[in-house]
Amino acid sequence: MSKSMSSARRDWLRAMSVTAIGAAVLPRSAWAQAGTPIVIGSLTPQTGAGSIYGPGMRDAIAAVVKEVNAAGGVISRQIKLVSEDDQTNPEATVRAARKLIDVDKAVAILGPWASSVAAAVAPVCWESETMCAIVGSADNITRLPHKGFLIRTQPNISMQAARFGRLALDQNPKSIYFLGPQTPFTQIYIDVVAKMAKDKGVAFASEIYDGSKTSYRSEVDKAMKFKPDVLLLGGFVNDNAVVLRDIYRAGYKGTMIGFGTGVNTKLLESVPPEAVEGIYAVTPSAALGSPAYKRLAKLINVADPGPFESQAYDMINLTVLAIAQGKQATGPAIRDNIRKVSQGGGTVVDDAVEGIKLIGEGKKINYEGASGPVEFDQYGDIVDSKFRIEQVRGGKLTLVEIS
Amino acid sequence: MLDVLTQVAQLALNGIMTGAVLAMPAIGFTLLYAVLGFPNFAVSGHLAVGAFAGWILNTHYGWPLWAVVPFGFIAAGVLGVATQRVVVEPLRGAASITLAIASVAVALLIENALRFGFGNTLRSYDLPLARDVTIGALRFGPQQMQTAAVAIVVMLLLFALLRYTRLGRAIRATADNASLAAVKGIDTVAIARLVAFVGMGLAGASGVLLGADTAIDPLIGFRLVLAVFAAAVVGGLGSIPGAVLGALVIGIAEEVSTIVLPSDYKSAVGFLLILLFLTFRPRGLLGERRN
Repeated sequence: MSKSMSSARRDWLRAMSVTAIGAAVLPRSAWAQAGTPIVIGSLTPQTGAGSIYGPGMRDAIAAVVKEVNAAGGVISRQIKLVSEDDQTNPEATVRAARKLIDVDKAVAILGPWASSVAAAVAPVCWESETMCAIVGSADNITRLPHKGFLIRTQPNISMQAARFGRLALDQNPKSIYFLGPQTPFTQIYIDVVAKMAKDKGVAFASEIYDGSKTSYRSEVDKAMKFKPDVLLLGGFVNDNAVVLRDIYRAGYKGTMIGFGTGVNTKLLESVPPEAVEGIYAVTPSAALGSPAYKRLAKLINVADPGPFESQAYDMINLTVLAIAQGKQATGPAIRDNIRKVSQGGGTVVDDAVEGIKLIGEGKKINYEGASGPVEFDQYGDIVDSKFRIEQVRGGKLTLVEIS
Repeated sequence: MLDVLTQVAQLALNGIMTGAVLAMPAIGFTLLYAVLGFPNFAVSGHLAVGAFAGWILNTHYGWPLWAVVPFGFIAAGVLGVATQRVVVEPLRGAASITLAIASVAVALLIENALRFGFGNTLRSYDLPLARDVTIGALRFGPQQMQTAAVAIVVMLLLFALLRYTRLGRAIRATADNASLAAVKGIDTVAIARLVAFVGMGLAGASGVLLGADTAIDPLIGFRLVLAVFAAAVVGGLGSIPGAVLGALVIGIAEEVSTIVLPSDYKSAVGFLLILLFLTFRPRGLLGERRN
């Protein structure tokens, strides 16, 4: 025992000596450049209902960080990315956020995806003056007293619900039925679509279910009794995979419309094709064809990045640019400068490296992102978004329109 | 009035189909409890292993469902014996709560191993969907009825094994009093491993049936385990017919409750039943009174 301890001590002394010699011989500039890294936290869903999107978001953020570091960092400092899993679970999210803020000293947290998760992490961020960029789209999150430390790259629920309702009414139905899981935003969808239906004289009814069940036969029975011309599905992939089977078994022949978070390629892989044929998907669209979108596709080597990867790309670029603009890596500095780089005119840029260079030259920049123009109102919500309407045709998602 | 009766009948039928999914893992859970003496929550992980083993054979090698179910049983059963040897046997003599916590850890380990190997993506068996059959005013799901039939056959076979065979008597003796059974020359360690094989195997086979009926991911068992526990408690922990009855009661109660409660409170109904049974009839519907 004493032999191994003395061996360990020798190893430790040897390591310390090497470090000390290194310190003596390294040029001064190397130390200055290394500096203290700026810590940015990625808090995305690697497990749970959002796990289909989390890895792509994390990779997009990591790719930008790598690119910025390779170009010399920002304000002469490297960025250290610490990635945590929000588990699509508010309790786990708060623990992970506390670790990012208290232990890692992150100045920004990027990516909380689900609304429940985003609502849980928001107070932790504003209390600690940490900038937070979220996806979670329940309207009320950005109405919290977040002192500007919150921005959201995803259109809020009211914006999404209005587009959802418009597509439903475009089918000229006599009746619309909404079937969705219990989430913080389900009631908002129902209220918005119900009002739109009422204004047009269309019958409307809804049912909220528990999203963790293995069968939804009774819920589908209720829906079928209403004889809806349009069936709106508010679920995620996991519950839609079960709900759609039960709808097929019940012999429903009308039009089905779901959200992109619940009707996507992942769903098509997990449900027999006959159960999803003809269903529409409404998704906040990435800015397809924009320079930033093309750049992102190349950067992460994905032919067709999704909206959340695009948003993650914008979150990290905006954060880095705000640090460059404010010349400080702190939460308040990011908050105070994020709108200076995202809106209000200036040279259009689509990546942080180019933006840092222009800011260094004293130029005003306007970041146009992969998810859209990313301009924010006083609450931190984006002011405009396009939606991608797709339909499953022949077992594949086919683009109908982007509007 | 007829309309209401039809609605109740349809909901009860839906409940039977929901309960059928719970019945097989509940049989495994209750068998494990009877012999090993602790609630083994690792059934959730073994259920997922069975589901993935079946999925590989079905989608990669084109095996039909009837051939895949036994394979799911064997895969989960073998893993069950391994976890019995590696985790449960070294903890022999520990309090049942210790073993229950260890079983939760095993479940998490297995589910994370599956996540590591297969990712989180939902996966579907390569099986066609069958439309429901309508008889009178009632809608039947052929696939779910098939699952119910399998659960009932398994229950009868296990019941017969325990009641009428020498091996069954040895298992029952071990369940009643392991020390006394050992004195009488029964290899209780081997019996416990056999029960782990059968109990976890049943969870694995039900994973295949559930996967064929819905879709699979590493948490397929996790989402079900509390309902399985509820079914076993309501039926009477340790009683095999009780597990099936408990599963059907939970399924029917959850579905029929939607007449008066919003659907998103369904899960609460199952747990309300657990509370009621633990308070007023702790031995469950068919459990034996224990001193």
